[in-house]
Amino acid sequence: MRKLIHDELIQRIDSAEEITGAAQRLRKTAIEKDLTPRAVLDVFEQWAVALDASGVREIPGGAFLRLWLRRGTLEPILLRELGPESLENGWREDGRARLRAFPLGVVGHWPAANIEIQPILSLTCALLGGNSCVVRVPSGLMDPTRLVMERLQAVDRDAVLTERIFLASFDHSRTDLQEAMAKSVDGAMIWGGEEAVSQVRALPFLHWARVLVFGPRLSVAAMDAGVWGERKERASWCRRMARDVWQFEQQACSSPQTLFLEQGAECDAAEFVEDLKAAFQEENRAHPRLEIEPALTSAICQARASWLLDDVANRACFPQSTDWTILQGKGIDIPEPIQGRTLSVLVADDLLEAISKFDGTVQTLGLAVKDARREEILAEAAARHGVDRVVRLGQMHVFGSPWDGTDLVRPMVRMVRHVRSQD
Amino acid sequence: MQLAELEQSIGTLLDTPPYAMAPGQRNECLLTLFKRELDYACERSPQFENYVRHWPVSLAAAEKIADLPYLPVSVFKANPPLSLVPASEVKRTLTSSSTSGQVPSRVVLDAATSRRMTKGVIAIIRDFVGAARRPYLVIDTQENLGRRSELGARGAAIQALGSFATEIVSCLRLDPQGELGLDLEKLLACAAKWKEAEVLVYGFTYVIWTQLVQPLKRKGIALGMPNVHVLHSGGWKRLEQQAVTKDKFVRDVASVFGCAAERVIDYYGMVENVGVVYPDCARGFKHVPAFADVIIRDPLTLAPVEAGQQGLVQVCSVLPTSFPGFLLLTDDMGEIIGHDGCGCGRRGTHFRFLRRVPKVEVRGCGNLETTRQRRGGGA
Repeated sequence: MRKLIHDELIQRIDSAEEITGAAQRLRKTAIEKDLTPRAVLDVFEQWAVALDASGVREIPGGAFLRLWLRRGTLEPILLRELGPESLENGWREDGRARLRAFPLGVVGHWPAANIEIQPILSLTCALLGGNSCVVRVPSGLMDPTRLVMERLQAVDRDAVLTERIFLASFDHSRTDLQEAMAKSVDGAMIWGGEEAVSQVRALPFLHWARVLVFGPRLSVAAMDAGVWGERKERASWCRRMARDVWQFEQQACSSPQTLFLEQGAECDAAEFVEDLKAAFQEENRAHPRLEIEPALTSAICQARASWLLDDVANRACFPQSTDWTILQGKGIDIPEPIQGRTLSVLVADDLLEAISKFDGTVQTLGLAVKDARREEILAEAAARHGVDRVVRLGQMHVFGSPWDGTDLVRPMVRMVRHVRSQD
Repeated sequence: MQLAELEQSIGTLLDTPPYAMAPGQRNECLLTLFKRELDYACERSPQFENYVRHWPVSLAAAEKIADLPYLPVSVFKANPPLSLVPASEVKRTLTSSSTSGQVPSRVVLDAATSRRMTKGVIAIIRDFVGAARRPYLVIDTQENLGRRSELGARGAAIQALGSFATEIVSCLRLDPQGELGLDLEKLLACAAKWKEAEVLVYGFTYVIWTQLVQPLKRKGIALGMPNVHVLHSGGWKRLEQQAVTKDKFVRDVASVFGCAAERVIDYYGMVENVGVVYPDCARGFKHVPAFADVIIRDPLTLAPVEAGQQGLVQVCSVLPTSFPGFLLLTDDMGEIIGHDGCGCGRRGTHFRFLRRVPKVEVRGCGNLETTRQRRGGGA
């Protein structure tokens, strides 16, 4: 039997009844049909292979999605979040009781519109918990989502996963549909910018619904003098930096907006910027921007001008186009993030000083530090000041659990405790 | 670089008929003058010099106006405003109309820039309505006629046309609650007095519509002034929200005054582009005068686009020397129609204004609205 998600992979929704009807079917499936994480992982493995195809490979983040879906990536996450017995939906002994994860039921997903693979990443987390999913696909992500889901349809011949997925498309301003979706779900995973997240959070969720919010955040990179002062290594670190800036057009919460360079005796920031410029040029050759919103063009031009007009000590480096911008100066405050491949490079006397000014908006700190002990100190300080991820520079976008300081699977399951009556 | 040297070159261009120069001759002349003005500005402002120094093309290497460093118009929202003169020389500060709660732009004018601004506007408007002085009917309040040191966009536009006036009458008033309304008695008295005389009328587009056209139409009043020239500016955003098209606006204004539709002239302008306004010609296009230029840039590459392609509008003017407003990238979209040969007979570049750059809906998880204050929309 080959069940499809729907005749049309992504349903254009006009009425609240379409959402509530779908959610009822999905809940029934989640309650009545046991889905082990191992079964999910089996389909994910096949899906990952199927995604290595022309047309899908080119989707931004596609390579990461293939990696994400592999058993080698997800099994350790399940083991850590739910325990070893969880793979077969087994009970775990807990003293005189036993524990087991059960799905919440239907999880609603409100992904951000700037990351092509985010609807998929979000629903995979809920599926691993045995849930069914209603996903509101943002209008700009219809094509990549459809392409990726077609591959799932092709490999999921018994509809183990596809019968648990309902992809919906409707305008964000349709409050009636947003409310219907919120009232239909037992859990919610919300991703996005401040305004979008606030709007979704304010929807009338059921009182038991678990609401998980990711974003909005920004991210920062930092290098100590031992790394950026080392000429031989500098170019490769600059290439890593460029990769982190280029991904997702620098609009993701994990995108670095500012790079702090710790001042060193032998270090010349102008030399560093020359290397960074070369790396940006190279990355731009490999991944040129094909289109831009005129408003972003205005913001980039404004950022360049304001930076140089505000302080005569400031420097900048940019081509005549909007392709990339490096704003160079000194300080420990994170400048206003511009996005669109605009990186502020600030020389700071002490990285700890810069980190101590983080206020909880910083999600990820990408580090390049020579000394491991020093890095531990910086990581601990960052964590104390609200940072949820401290990673090697160049890997700032590697999605993993926990994200924003929160597990990805466990919040969407119920840990059921059974105390035997025989004891 | 001395101001007097620049003054002479600017004066030569200002004295030239605004739409008579051959494009090649004009470009060469403007490129040289803009380079000198940029040098002049760099000598007076270390901040501006810092900007120009970092521009990807040096002034010496620039071969065309499009190579020269331009500022985004939003830099004039800075406080204090960018200036090339000491505070003691500032005679007036112009502020933009700044709709939707945005921070207004502010530009400072010294006496010389102020004089050139007036001269520039007169040269342009004269070409469209003739040189004769005539009664001037302002669709605004008396309060906006006064000369003040800080002047809004409406006041600046009203005053710029004052040189054409034999007498100035404003026909709106504020009631005790501060609500704007039509002084019908005064308006009808003017209409009766001026009848078939040449009259200049000016108002902001949405003010003319809401405070003059709609009330008169409701009452079924036609003014019977066939020889008016109605100039209006200030954008279409509010009228678009009321689904009023440009055609409907022109038709209804002409009907209320009893004049031909060609006598209703929309012009594009902004306080940062002092002394330059862009009235629609009979063919519906906007023309670039001898002392200015317009470049349309591809939003992706920022390179100038060919005629027929759309992009961001860059306005250029040799007139200001009190602030660095020579080359400004606006937040407007436009299209170059041609670089010469408009059917209306005016020479040089002609273009059309399309729309304001729409606010982008960046809905990413990296978008902190309160930090950025520049986005709208949701997921």
